[in-house]
Amino acid sequence: MNNQLSDSIKDKIAAIKTADNVYSMGRVARIRNYIIEVSGLEGVGFFERVIVGDKAEGYVSRIGRNHVTVELVRVIEPIHVGDEITATKQPFGAYFSPSSLGHVVDMFAEDKLVGSVFKDREPISAVVQPIPIMDRSAVSRPLYTGLAAIDLLYPIGCGQRQLILGDKKTGKTQIGLDTIVNQRDSDTICIYVALGKTKKGVKEIYSELLQRGAMPYTLILVAFQDDGAPALYRTPDVALTIANRFMQEGKDVLVVIDDLTLHANIYREISLLADKVPGRDAYPPDIFFAHASLLEQGCQYHNGGSITILPIVETRGGDITDYITTNIISITDGQIVLSAKAFEQGQKPAVNFGLSVSRLGGVVQTDVLRQLGAEVRRELLSFLETREVFELANIDEMNEEMRSRIIRGRQLLGKMSQYKYSPLSPSEIKTRFEESEE
Amino acid sequence: MIIGKVITISNMSVSVLLDTYDVGVRDIVYVEQDGQRTLFEVNNVSGNVANAIPLTNVYGLRKGLDVYSQKGGLRIEYSSEVLGKVFDTLGNTIDGSVIERPHTKNIYEKNLSMAEINIKGDILWTGIKVIDFFAPLQKGFKMGMFGGAGVGKTVLVKELINNVYTGQGSNSVFIGIGERSREGRELYDEMQKSQLLDKMSVVFGQMGENPMIRSRAAYSGLTVGEFLRDEQDQDVLIFIDNIYRFLQANSEISAELGNMPIESGYSTSLLTEINEVMERINSTENGSITSFQAIFIPADDMTDFAVNSILSHMDGQVALSRKISEKGIYPAVDVFNTTSKLVTAEGVGERHYSLVERAIAHFARYDELEEIVAVLGIDELGEEDTNTFYRARKLRNYFTQPMFVSEQYTGIPGEFVKIEAVLNDVENIMSGAFDTLDENEFYYIGSVKR
Repeated sequence: MNNQLSDSIKDKIAAIKTADNVYSMGRVARIRNYIIEVSGLEGVGFFERVIVGDKAEGYVSRIGRNHVTVELVRVIEPIHVGDEITATKQPFGAYFSPSSLGHVVDMFAEDKLVGSVFKDREPISAVVQPIPIMDRSAVSRPLYTGLAAIDLLYPIGCGQRQLILGDKKTGKTQIGLDTIVNQRDSDTICIYVALGKTKKGVKEIYSELLQRGAMPYTLILVAFQDDGAPALYRTPDVALTIANRFMQEGKDVLVVIDDLTLHANIYREISLLADKVPGRDAYPPDIFFAHASLLEQGCQYHNGGSITILPIVETRGGDITDYITTNIISITDGQIVLSAKAFEQGQKPAVNFGLSVSRLGGVVQTDVLRQLGAEVRRELLSFLETREVFELANIDEMNEEMRSRIIRGRQLLGKMSQYKYSPLSPSEIKTRFEESEE
Repeated sequence: MIIGKVITISNMSVSVLLDTYDVGVRDIVYVEQDGQRTLFEVNNVSGNVANAIPLTNVYGLRKGLDVYSQKGGLRIEYSSEVLGKVFDTLGNTIDGSVIERPHTKNIYEKNLSMAEINIKGDILWTGIKVIDFFAPLQKGFKMGMFGGAGVGKTVLVKELINNVYTGQGSNSVFIGIGERSREGRELYDEMQKSQLLDKMSVVFGQMGENPMIRSRAAYSGLTVGEFLRDEQDQDVLIFIDNIYRFLQANSEISAELGNMPIESGYSTSLLTEINEVMERINSTENGSITSFQAIFIPADDMTDFAVNSILSHMDGQVALSRKISEKGIYPAVDVFNTTSKLVTAEGVGERHYSLVERAIAHFARYDELEEIVAVLGIDELGEEDTNTFYRARKLRNYFTQPMFVSEQYTGIPGEFVKIEAVLNDVENIMSGAFDTLDENEFYYIGSVKR
């Protein structure tokens, strides 16, 4: 006890001698939403954590000649021009608690359902670092979603980034949740990132996952709209830092990011408010990099661990060629496209088979599923194409071969339908589609 | 040598208050903090203030840090040791290999004069039916490959590496700019497995890296390619995947420097930048550089300024289209937008040229007929149109091809098809000699075997 006390005093004295206990200070000079300009704060580091008394905290986003720009991540009470602001000599970071698995938390490891911070929270970086090419290895192990349309036709592997794409209300989130629930016996840690969702909506998702026994291995990381733009923008980074930590321990991690459209819009807002030069559609010119650096965290690591990412993007009017969507398609290893038309016709999951792609394809499937999948896909796609060309023809007047192809196609399409939370195991998928082969 | 102090810091730039005039644009300067060195490249100097762009991140840097200069700028290995090695943009090997006696060269040095450029060259067959037929290429050509996201660009690049490479035996350089790290890793593994790696050199600046690293990968890669051409007198193949990412990275840098953007937020000096890189990709009396450059189309917008600026440098182009890939046709080549300067009677010969013309006419008529058939049914067509309709579908199926590098997706072994076989088959399909065969028999085959 005495030793500890004297050590701590010694440290303090040493800090005073090297002037290490002097924290630079400044005053708020200009407030623009969550971006403030500060005079003073000499010697502050880029991305250092700064605090405005006990009113707010944020990070340094720019060091100018005469002032420093700070983006506020957490505001407890309103701040005013002239408020004192202090540097902390710590890089801005988030927190993570190992015991938070099974809970709904924010980037500061605050349990949102209880309203208190986890006692054993540890600081964790809020920015991701690129994973070197040579530390990766090939993606080859399957990660089953339990959905025949995906596991059979557009399979996902551990370490793959598979985009889920579709209009509002086409079941995008549901695919993510189905996949999380299906990891019950796979020893995979799941992180569901809810960005800008309503509190009610997140609570519903929590209770769904709890009911189905998925919460023990799942972390729900949230940033609500009222947490402010910088927190919303940083939260996916934090999710991947947490995922990276598990991966380094050799674990498989699944991260569902719901959704990146909002993330892009939030980043646009921050950049425009910070007077940055806008690019296409007024998005910041580095929007591609923002998403790429995030999604490049998904990988099969050389130690056996992996991070699989299912980012979600919301399209408008079924248009998958807009700027943000094509950017993210060009980053991910494939996309599951959901179509509003199929959804309305009762096909669930409402996968658009022509537009969906897995760039890894068969390499993440078992031999059986690969062969079966290739056959079913060929048949299904050829049916869908024929259906378009001969849409108006009378089926009874067609030649025998064409008619049977169309009937088979309709059957296959029917077998792809699955109600939510009713996963099929690979062997169930096999039986379901093999019997139709005869 | 200390040249000044940091006075401002933002995400992608710092400004340095200089106490010497001995600082030039594209010099490398650095700061040291907590034992960590952060490199910058000087972008512009005005009076006694230099703006420099970081090559890594700037987290934690402070105002007032001393700035040192590193002589020689950005450099990469310039010797026969480049072969079989993987470099990052900064010229470091990243595959764990060591270069015994480094012999490096500045990545910006090379510029060719008009006198040095050689425009002659032989035809280079790729063994990919649709390319050899519609867009044959010649040594020294720049071939652009463009298409939206997810239509199979990278697979085609890998197939070309495989085919052209096996046939030619000359060394090549792969420059990865702003593409997926996973694919980079797999390319490396595949090349190693097929024992092609020791005949090529790879430079990576992938999409998770800072824009400077991505942008400068182009220069570093070209320097390596120029070594093979100038010092080893080789016909070099350079693959750039993806050249659009080079301009994209530059637009990020330009915006961070506060430059006024041009349309779609591209860098102010986009034309200068693309020109500087493209003018280096040329053939000389010593050897040739044939390049394949994948071009990403942002937002599927063919009128995009960056895309068009790149295309104006190309000798030929291969267009990949989503409409075609949706139908399960790979490579998803849009024949209407696929061509090369060689498609003339003088370039490929009278027969090949006229077959291309006729094939395109078939496809054009098919597109019109398809709408009629969708509305009225196939029976309403006259005999000639019915023939054209079915033969065009056979042609379309014929131009699919099993690829060596996509065996894992399709389960069908790849095939290298000789141009004579392609010309015969196409002629037979269009003349009706294959009318008795079902269209599905042309799907994913090499040449027609009877």
